Amino acid sequence: MTANGSPCRYSVSIDSNKMRLDLHTHSIKSDDGRAKVENYCKWIAKKELPLDGFVLTEHRQFDADSDYRQLEDEYGLAIMKASEVETDYGHVLVFGVNDDLLAAIDFTNVRLPIETVLDESRKAGAFAAPCHPGRKRVGLFAHYEERGVVQGVDTVEVLNGGSIPGEDELSLAMADRLGYRGFGGSDSHVVSRIGFCATDFPNQQIVDMEALVHALYGGNFSAVSMRPGDSD
Amino acid sequence: MSAITKFEDLEIGDDLPGESPDVSMPRVTAFCHAAKHVFERFIDHEAAQREGFAAAIVPGIMSQGLLASMIHRWAPGCEILEIDTVFRGSLLVDSDITMTGAVTDTDDDALIAELDLAIVAEDGRTGVIGTARVQFEQ
Repeated sequence: MTANGSPCRYSVSIDSNKMRLDLHTHSIKSDDGRAKVENYCKWIAKKELPLDGFVLTEHRQFDADSDYRQLEDEYGLAIMKASEVETDYGHVLVFGVNDDLLAAIDFTNVRLPIETVLDESRKAGAFAAPCHPGRKRVGLFAHYEERGVVQGVDTVEVLNGGSIPGEDELSLAMADRLGYRGFGGSDSHVVSRIGFCATDFPNQQIVDMEALVHALYGGNFSAVSMRPGDSD
Repeated sequence: MSAITKFEDLEIGDDLPGESPDVSMPRVTAFCHAAKHVFERFIDHEAAQREGFAAAIVPGIMSQGLLASMIHRWAPGCEILEIDTVFRGSLLVDSDITMTGAVTDTDDDALIAELDLAIVAEDGRTGVIGTARVQFEQ
């Protein structure tokens, strides 16, 4: 069950009545990213991936400058920008980064207190959620074993395209046990890995970050895996 | 899949044939001596463990060379203009690793293709990612 009492929903089906977004991608703006945003778009089009858009979550920064509206129009995709920050409980995705949040948190700090990230995000109207929580060292649940549960977490990335066998299974099991909602993201750093995991938003139109943050707070979404070999 | 000989034969989305290169201790040791890149962490499991690794690790320059060789087996006549690798995790000597690649962009005027590259470790973790730009002849 989720925090609001509804069942956790992790599906692998697709229909025309929902938005499917990859909520965790990196471009060449990240130090270890090697994907050009336009090439992501070309890849999605060429492979006919069932994605309506993706979110660029660059490491330890917010890319305020890049403008992808032309690519959005050309490829019919929603391209949004967020951040992946590093905390004392592992990595956290922050959606809806704004000036208030940038003033409150040093995004370059690799040991941000997770409570600060969660609290300041909420105050700024943003949405923060730990990613790849089942991963050793950089995942939330690895720290739970040693330091206990963090108050204020209600959503985690349960499917991550970079996970090794066992990591997502742990994420799903722990999220279910703790009543967390789950979303999915590819965590792609190169073009050909976009869309390995994504998030379905039934009966919602999400074309910008404001709508995405609203949808994440709303909780009506589910993680989906589209990794090669997975059925869809 | 037959080797690519002409730029016209490739397109975005094509996969390079995956390969599982031999990174056994004798091969890695031979590479290290040939490359004059001999360090204990590459050629001695116990020494690598003393440095904190799970076992001896494959040198980064060998990983890059293996990826380059995969590109040339896929397209023997191409010239590698650039190969850019990111080492995200260790690849262990005497383990099974898998290399993959894909065409992610093409420049029809310049006859240049951009490739994604990856090496996946035995446990499923991606140890190396990268990109390459390759030039084809007219």
